[in-house]
Amino acid sequence: MPSEWEGYYLDGRTASRQRAVIRLMRSGLQVTTEGGVTLWWPYAEIRQTQGFYAGEQVRLERGGEISEALVVSDQAFLTDLHRTASEGRTRFHDPARRRLRLQLTFLAAAAVIAITGAFYLWGIPALAALLAPRVPVAWEERLGEAVIGQVAPPARRCDPLRARVLDDIVQRLTAPLGPLPYTFRVLVVNDAIINAFAAPGGYVVVFRGLLEHTGSSEELAGVLAHEMQHILRRHATRALLEHASTGLLLAALSGDPSGAIPYGLEGARLLGALHYSRGHEEEADREGMRMMIAAGIDPQGMVKFFESVLKDRDLPDFLKYLSAHPTTADRIEKLKALARASAPASARLLPDYDWRDIKKICPPPPR
Amino acid sequence: MSGVSPPQAGIIGIRRLSFHGSGGSLFGIHIVNVFLTIVTLGVYYFWGKVKVRRYLLHETEFEGDRFAYHGTGKELLIGFLKAVLVFGIPLMLLNSAPQLLGWRPEFQFLAIVLIYAITVVFIPVAVVGTRRYRLSRTSWRGIRFSFRGRVVEFIRLFVLGVLLTTITLGLYYPIFATRRYGFLTSHSYFGTQKADFNGRGRDLFWSYLLALLLTLPTLGLCWFWFTAKKRRYFWNHSFFASARFQSTMTGSLFFLLKLSNLLLLVVTLGLAWPWVVVRNIRFDFQYLALRGPLDLAGIQQDAQAASATGEALSGFLDTGFDLG
Repeated sequence: MPSEWEGYYLDGRTASRQRAVIRLMRSGLQVTTEGGVTLWWPYAEIRQTQGFYAGEQVRLERGGEISEALVVSDQAFLTDLHRTASEGRTRFHDPARRRLRLQLTFLAAAAVIAITGAFYLWGIPALAALLAPRVPVAWEERLGEAVIGQVAPPARRCDPLRARVLDDIVQRLTAPLGPLPYTFRVLVVNDAIINAFAAPGGYVVVFRGLLEHTGSSEELAGVLAHEMQHILRRHATRALLEHASTGLLLAALSGDPSGAIPYGLEGARLLGALHYSRGHEEEADREGMRMMIAAGIDPQGMVKFFESVLKDRDLPDFLKYLSAHPTTADRIEKLKALARASAPASARLLPDYDWRDIKKICPPPPR
Repeated sequence: MSGVSPPQAGIIGIRRLSFHGSGGSLFGIHIVNVFLTIVTLGVYYFWGKVKVRRYLLHETEFEGDRFAYHGTGKELLIGFLKAVLVFGIPLMLLNSAPQLLGWRPEFQFLAIVLIYAITVVFIPVAVVGTRRYRLSRTSWRGIRFSFRGRVVEFIRLFVLGVLLTTITLGLYYPIFATRRYGFLTSHSYFGTQKADFNGRGRDLFWSYLLALLLTLPTLGLCWFWFTAKKRRYFWNHSFFASARFQSTMTGSLFFLLKLSNLLLLVVTLGLAWPWVVVRNIRFDFQYLALRGPLDLAGIQQDAQAASATGEALSGFLDTGFDLG
């Protein structure tokens, strides 16, 4: 005796539904509607479109684009179908396998966490390292301009003509290196915070606070050499690429692509606070120091500046610089070791310039 | 499980939509989608979207029967590729070519004008295409929904609306929004039965003006109340046959919903997204009813509804053009 189930039949032509009795046979369903019509639905012609989740009705369709449908509320119907049908069973969802599906779902969730974690920790830095050297300098310059427009708009900058002394230092630093892909430009922002950072494409931004904090041209040369190395080694471009990839990762995770773009753009604004990895900082220290030595500038300048950073670390204006350039005794020891290995500088960097005049470059804005 | 009411119960009366799904199930679907999307380098995204839509519609009940979704991932992928081909690539070229090729300033200016023109056309085409596609892939009791508005008419309405809104410094917006909503509603069909809309934008004008004036003193919060009022107004002026929709949603309830959703998303770093979706649906259904006599048995399938026909270009743009 075949088992019988109550359901509804939809003919696909009108919005009325008819009660129907569905008999489960070995190779198909025998459907008798309340109108007394009997239909034969072979399993091979039926597709299930609903009833994959707990609480859903089971919906079976048959026919072309506009199809007839059977709706059964009780999901036990599916279990019964799997027991009765001899062929075409696999076309139908089996509630008995739901447990397995749940386990697979947890597995997928674990995999998502593992993949995103691994991608964040290794994939993104590797990708950025791979891409950064391939970014054309012209693109880096445009990116740098965008960043500068945000962080150091012309209205906040000090007169570039007065800051020519900074260009002299840059020229001294770059002279031994021969032709470079970048044109370095130093901008001074009229702000009391003690900070400096590099933007892609050759821009170094120095804040007034830092300028006033340096005791000599050699100290400032140390800061500039460090930041210029971030540009030459494309650390800034890499940091921005990493930030943008993190945005894409977040978008993939939340299923919302529209969130990624604003996040990526925010990277430009945040560049001042972007953190380079410790490895990048050490590289910039090391190579910056080499640059100073090659240019014949007293390497003690860089050591002195970082020592003063360590000493005055409690100054509130220092917070920004310290968060981006964690200054430790260990770092200073490494710099000192590098400086010792070199011959002392033959002459001062800017013998004719009174360093106290550096404060005149950028007078604080009137209150 | 919901009790299945006898067919045609209550020819006259109040009918409501109800939602049976849960955030937990949706989260399961979502996380598997994320996994497969990552593994397939993004291709699975479209199939995942179909899974989510199918779940949401299948858990939505009206008069004892669930809605059904008939779209496929392949259709969405093709629609996406069409959009990239017709709009994405031209816009990208216009965006980058003038600078890369060093065009003269007047040509650069022309390129910018063209970008705006394409965008203003693209939005209405996408809105109509999305609606046409989604409705044609949705059914209830085996009868398909459809959208029969012409895309050219909507482009005209949209471009005019954008121009007038700009010229009047935004004051035209409520009339524009109402006409837009009216067009989309009054060209929507269920089988052979058409939906109707009789709202007039000027009814929203003073509320809109008030919201504009209160923007600064309320830090923009007054827009929650305006949006709630707008939605209520739109529903209350929508008809289906001789039955009228009625919404009792209020601004305070709407504000609380959005605020709690935001908190949920922020606290969970976006992982609560499935629960937010379910909360939004339940909220809408809770305050929405269809009142009045309704003869569902008299509604016939309209075979044209689901097959995608049309002239060459508009047919090309209209079908499967879903970006929502």
